[in-house]
Formats: sequence, C-alpha cells, structure tokens
Amino acid sequence: QVTVEPRVTLLDALRNHLDLTGAKQVCDRGSCGACTVLFDGQPVNSCMLLAADAEGHEITTVEGLGTPEKLSPLQAAFVEKDALQCGFCTPGFVVSGTALLAKNAHPTLDQIKAGLAGNLCRCGTYGRIFEAVEAAAKAKRG
Amino acid sequence: MAQEEKAQEPTVTFTAKAGLPSAPQTMEVHAGVGDIKPWDLDDWPQFEQMGKPRPRSEAPLKVTGRAKYTYDLKLPGMLYGRMIGAEVAAGTIVSIDTSKAEALPGVKAVWTADSKVVRFAGQDVAAVAAVSPEVAIDAARLVKVTYKEKPFVHELREAMKNGAPLVFAESEAPAGKDVPRKGNVFGPGARSRGNRGDLDKGFAGAEVVHEGTYYCPVHTHSCLETHGVVASWEGDQLTVHASTQGIFAVREGLAEALGIDRKNVRVLCEHMGGGFGSKLGPSASGSAFAMAACKMAKKAGAPVKMMLDRKQEHLCTGNAPSALMTVKVGAKKDGTVTAVHYRSWGSAGVAGGAGTAGPAASLHGKNPNFKAEEYDVFTNAGPGAPLRAPGHSQGAFGIESAMDELADKLGMDPIELRKKNEASPVRMAQYDLGAKEIGWARRNKKAGDTTTGGWGGTAKGAKKRGVGMANGNWYVFAAEDVGAQVKVHRDGSVEVIAGYQDIGTGSRTAIAVVAAEELGVETSAVTMRIGDTQFPEGPGSGGSVTINSVAPVVRLAANEARTKLFALAAPLLGVAPGELDAANGKIFVAKDPAKSVTFKQAAAKMSGETIDCTAKRKKQYETFRGDLAGTQFAEVEVDTETGEVRVIKMVSVNDCGFPANPLTAQNQVIGAMIQGASWALLENRILDRNVGTMVNPNLESYKIFAPGDMFEAKSILTPVANLGNNTSTAGIGEPPIVPTLAVIANAVYNAIGVRIRELPITPDRVLAALSEARRRA
Repeated sequence: QVTVEPRVTLLDALRNHLDLTGAKQVCDRGSCGACTVLFDGQPVNSCMLLAADAEGHEITTVEGLGTPEKLSPLQAAFVEKDALQCGFCTPGFVVSGTALLAKNAHPTLDQIKAGLAGNLCRCGTYGRIFEAVEAAAKAKRG
Repeated sequence: MAQEEKAQEPTVTFTAKAGLPSAPQTMEVHAGVGDIKPWDLDDWPQFEQMGKPRPRSEAPLKVTGRAKYTYDLKLPGMLYGRMIGAEVAAGTIVSIDTSKAEALPGVKAVWTADSKVVRFAGQDVAAVAAVSPEVAIDAARLVKVTYKEKPFVHELREAMKNGAPLVFAESEAPAGKDVPRKGNVFGPGARSRGNRGDLDKGFAGAEVVHEGTYYCPVHTHSCLETHGVVASWEGDQLTVHASTQGIFAVREGLAEALGIDRKNVRVLCEHMGGGFGSKLGPSASGSAFAMAACKMAKKAGAPVKMMLDRKQEHLCTGNAPSALMTVKVGAKKDGTVTAVHYRSWGSAGVAGGAGTAGPAASLHGKNPNFKAEEYDVFTNAGPGAPLRAPGHSQGAFGIESAMDELADKLGMDPIELRKKNEASPVRMAQYDLGAKEIGWARRNKKAGDTTTGGWGGTAKGAKKRGVGMANGNWYVFAAEDVGAQVKVHRDGSVEVIAGYQDIGTGSRTAIAVVAAEELGVETSAVTMRIGDTQFPEGPGSGGSVTINSVAPVVRLAANEARTKLFALAAPLLGVAPGELDAANGKIFVAKDPAKSVTFKQAAAKMSGETIDCTAKRKKQYETFRGDLAGTQFAEVEVDTETGEVRVIKMVSVNDCGFPANPLTAQNQVIGAMIQGASWALLENRILDRNVGTMVNPNLESYKIFAPGDMFEAKSILTPVANLGNNTSTAGIGEPPIVPTLAVIANAVYNAIGVRIRELPITPDRVLAALSEARRRA
C-alpha cells in the first residue's frame, strides 16, 4: 500500500515509492513502451496511468516475472540470444513479450513484431528480441 | 615532443603472423619492454576462450529489471533536481527571479547559470532541487525569467546566406583565431584531412567526371536513459553516480568546475542506458547539469538526483551535425579514380566540429589526388557532440553516393568500381562475402527497371526492389594511459578490476574472455569489476577504443598472475615453470599434458590471500592496417505509390581484429545498421523557423526505428590479426554505422532509378523525386 499525490503516475509510484525500478521512464508519453507493466494481465504504459487508477488492480512488473537466479523462459531466451545491449528498454520488451506469449503461445514473426510494436530500442536489438520470443515459444512447445 | 620521448622508449621486437587467415603475412612489431607477443594467426585456431559466442554476464540483471542505472538510484534523503532551459533561441537574460520557487515548501536549493547570453533554446538558465519530482516541477514553473530577444538563425543553409543573423559577434572567435571566417561560416581549417597530389592534374586526366551535392539533417542521439547524475557529499568528499561513457572525464571535469581536488571526487557507473558519444564529458555538450547538481547537493546538504527529461535530452545533450557536401570525382573509363574534391559545410549548432571528410580521404585509397575543405557553420541550436563515428556516416553518404553515381555514368558494377580503387586487402576480401550474402546478382542491371533484376514474379507492380552497397572506414584508436588489476584468490577465483565503464557493448564479457584465455580458465570463472574511479584508470568509451585499450593491459596483468601461478605449480609437477602451459582450468607440462594440476590446486599454494597484479598499458604496436575495413549491402523495397521505403535485408562485413566475443560484437554491428537505417529513413531534428525551438522534442514525432520497421540483418566478421596490441582486438561500435546512410540511398536508387540526395528518405521526398523524374522524361 502506498499513498501518493493524485497526479503521481503508476510508473512514478512503482519507482519512487515502491523501489521497483525495472520499469523505466523514457518518453513519458506512451510512445516507447519502456514503462510497460501488466495491469490485470494486460500490457499498459504505466507512465500514462495514474497510480490512483490502479487501486484494486493486479500489477505485475518485470521484477515479478523472474529473478537473476530463476529466470522466466523468455528472460532466459533474452540472455541466451543476447537480445539486449544497454538494457534500458529490455524490461519493457520482456513484459510486452510475456504478454504476447500469454495471448499467443506460437506467434509468427509478423505477430511478434505487432506484439512488440509499442516498444522502442535505440541500440538496435530488435532482431535478437524477435529471436528470443521465438525461442521461448519453441521451448514451451518442447 | 611527447612522441619523440615515446620513440626513444626501449622496445622489444616480435615477429608474428598478421592479416587475414587466408593471406598470412609475417610482420615485425615493436612493443614496450615488458609487453608480450601479440596473439596472431597461429593463435587464432588454438583459442579456448577467444572468439566463441557467449551471452554477456550482466544480462540476467538487465532482463529481470535488477540492473541499477543512475536513473534507478535512491539515496537516503535524496532530493530531485530539475533543469530550466532558455525559452528563446537568441538574446540576453535580463533577470531570473527564483524567489517564488525558493518559497515553495519542499524546495531545498536553487542554482542559476552564470552566462547571461542565450544562443539556443534549451540552454541552461537555472535549476531547482526539491523533496519530490512533483515539487521540483512546480518549482521550475515558478522561476520567472525575462529575456531581451535577438534575431536568430535556425538552419545550416539559412546561416550561410549573406546577412544572416550572427550566432557569434565578429569580435568572438568560436572556431579559433586562424580559421577564415565569413559571417557564420568558418573554414576551411588549415589542416584538412588526407590532402594529397594535385587536383587540377587529376581532373585533367579524368575521362568521366561526376559532381553532386548531398545533404544530411541533424540527428539526435536519443539515448533512452537521459543524461543524469546522483551527486552526494560527505564533508569535502564528492560521490557522483553518472550515466556516462567516461567516469574519469566526469571526475576531471567536475573537480575542475568545482575547484576541488580530483582525489576528492569518486565517480561510479555500473550500468548506463545508451550514450552513442553524447556522454563523454562531465555533463553534456549543451548543459552543465552535473555541476548544478553537485552545487545544489552541497547547498542543501543532501544528495541530489538530476535526470534530464526527454525534451532536454534532444535540446542540449548533443547531436550529429548537419552536413551539406559537394563531391566532385574524376575517373578513367576503366574506373580508375584520378581525383576527388570534397567540400562540406556542417552545423553543430553553437559548436564547431562538423567536419565530414574522413571517409572521402580514406576510402578509394589508390586515388593519388585528393583535397578536402571542411567548413563549420554556426546556428542557434544546441551544440553537437560525437555521435557514433562522428561525421563519418554523413561523409560516407556524400562520397559513397557520388561513387554510386560515377559507377552509373561509367556503366560499371559499383563493386567493380570499388575494387578498382581499393587499397585495403581486408576490404578486398570482404566484397564477395557481402555480395553473396545479399544476393548482389539480383540487383537491377538498369536502375529503376525491375525487369532487369532477379526478382522473378515480384518485379512488376508498384513495389520495386533494389540492392545497393557502400563502404565505410574507421581507425584503430587506443588510449594508452590505462591500467588494470587482476586478482587470483586462494580459492582459485579470479577478479579483473578496471576503471572503465560498459556502455551496453557487453565489454565485461569480452574483457573477461581475454583474462580467461591468458590464465587458462573458463570465462565464467572471471568476475569483472568496472565503473569506479577508485579502480585503475580506464579510457572514455568513445572512438571504439574500449577493447583495444583495456584488453591488452588486462592480458598483461593476467600474464603476470599466470607467471606467479606457474611458479607455484612447477614444484608440484617437478618441472621448471618455463615448461608449463595452462588451459581448461589446468596448469600442465607443455610436452606432457597428462602431467597437470588444477588452477585451484596451484592457487591454494599461494602465500597470503591473493596474487595481486596491476599493470599499466604499454604503447600501441605497429598495426597491420591502421584503418578498419567494412563494406555493407542492403535490399530495399520502395512503394512507388505511397513513397514508403522498407528495408528488406542488410549485410555488414567488418574487420574488428580478433573478435573476443562474436555474439556481442555482431549485436553491435546489427544495431549500427538499424540505427543507421533509422537515420537514413526517419530522423530529422526540426527547429521552428519562427521561434527557434525544437518542433519534435519527443519520441513520437522524432521517430526512430521500431519493431515494425525491422529487416533481416546479417553481420559477417572477418577476423584479422592486426597486431596493434598484444590481443589483436579492435573496436566495433562505430565502423558498421559509417556506410549505412549511403547503402540505403544507393539501394533506393537501384530500385527506382531516381537519386535521393537529401536525407531522410521520407515518402514525400520519394514521391517528389519520382514525379520530377516523370516530368523530365
């Protein structure tokens, strides 16, 4: 439980009041996806949502998907494929990718691109990220 | 002077096998005394650790959101800072009234800039620090600034006109006293790059001449983690966490600005969210935010976190200068280039450094007659900063577009024209690798006529495909004032401690590979500790210097540790230390590998707790090639009805010496192609001609490549024993972005038969060019 000013966004509440700093503020206006979290299982830009509007809802951040010791299958695939460079956009991509795989366990390449369309990476790791999502889907299929 | 002293430094001579594995050459190199024989072509096939793809060690922290960036830090009692930038493009500050801001509850410190002259919108005016980001925003709004405005000039070509408002008065000399000046235009500098031969003679001997003018707009770095610091004081000791490419540059710059001893400043950077050249200084090229944070932290007696916002990041943290390039190339009918005259005018806003002649001077090295003239044009815009191979992407767009046009005039295959004038044996070997991978044979033999290409059934219709190529050059730069420490602990664990920072390249793992190779242990057994000015001095991560500055000194320190471990192992095996070798976690008798002890068994014999070896980097050796060769290819599809250009595939062939970790090196190469394609097709910083502020200071109208724009990207590394240092490694961050703008433009030409000479290649430009071509036909 956290008490904040009415204007505080969900992102700022998570980061500044709950010390969950995985989600990042990059554009602060819903165009980059670096602040993506799951809101009752749906991916949302947490910079575009007031913290007060999240009351009573289940929020999952990247921290909730796995730990360095116990990575989720998608996180492990990101590591294996080296689907990151500076890593600042990575939490957002991991959360969006997780939401995509929850909805569609075996996405095509075009479906992966569409599922991640709201996320930006400046280092240019998109191709590796697609490979990671494909690998995680394949691992699930066995 | 320094060079003369270095020349007298005693050296040892090594003979080694240099160059490409397919064409080894014996070469002599001179190393500083105490340095070791460079890894060469004999070592390359024998490596246990080097050259194997490995995930980077920090990845688990980054994919789980546990990696702590400067932006993520929260210290007890920490305040939140906010910068306030000028709202006008030129003028003077008449007054800054901070009284209302200071009276706001929760505001703990205020800072105002010394300079009262404003030369660009966004320039530092004031700053506040408050107990929460929300209060800091409120306080920033309460700072009242009044300006006396002046006329300004927002764009390169406008600034070159007679009578344009002067960014710097005639009495000021922003580009140095000896540089010729006309209004806002300064240049050419006395020492233009690569000038040689006689242009008149060269053009007189030419049978075909092409002259063209090419233009690149300003790009911003758009680092996802904005520039920022967390500054805290304990007495006179200052600790700064910085999102930086150079912790030592931050330490030096802040100590100087604050008038304190360097030893009292500690700078840390564990992870950082992108720099691309804009984070090499103490603050940023157009803001002193870090100094303001330190001063407010001192005043408030509490740590201050100062992160710029997205708009400030675009306005005042640097950008790639615009470039207007006029290229004249003369050649014989067989393609032999006889002369290149390269002129460029560029604007880095209120700063200089907009030169772009590097690629023209370096590529087509057989050309005997070359002259470059580079001009800096000042505009009322934020100062430029190095952006990933500064000036070289723009310059390669100029020269390599011109070469493509020349090939067309000569009726020659663009690759054949390049080969005819190629001086690098490395690039000569790269052409065919790239051509095969992209499917060069499919290109339209007649540009714009897809029935002359190998596209089968897709040749008809509004969507036209084409293939293009271009070359890029870069250099083997290395910092020499670099140190490293290697510690082997009694339990056999290994630490490498070095004061450089990782900017997202995966350098921790690449450097660990070098230490592991030398010690004969697994890379995973080596722990890297970096990003702290209390560690041995490291280089700034710019110029693609990190690996070839740090890896050699790490190898040197590891080599010393290896010698000490061999001395411990030798009595256990009953041989002399000189008879030993190490690999796979074992120390063994070279002639009888079955006789061995484990690395751990040897380490357990040490007296005390650690073998602690610290080394200073010695001088760079002679390098097989001083330039890093690269060539790049693209297939694009142009929709001639909508004007949209889509990249289908790109291939980059690059030399990075011996790649320590190809997985991360190739990530850099692919990332460069994506960033370059983004510049070529989308990016353009637009300043409002009426008010001089940025029209698109965000990430939805300053568009960068997104997942939906993504193409098939392939990186081919050609290992080269360059012998430039004891590891034969070289950087790869910058080289692969040099050709990309030209590659895309040349591929678009091949698809539609119309040349686009101004970037970005947006749908409106494509449609306008097509309609102009139809009108002329």
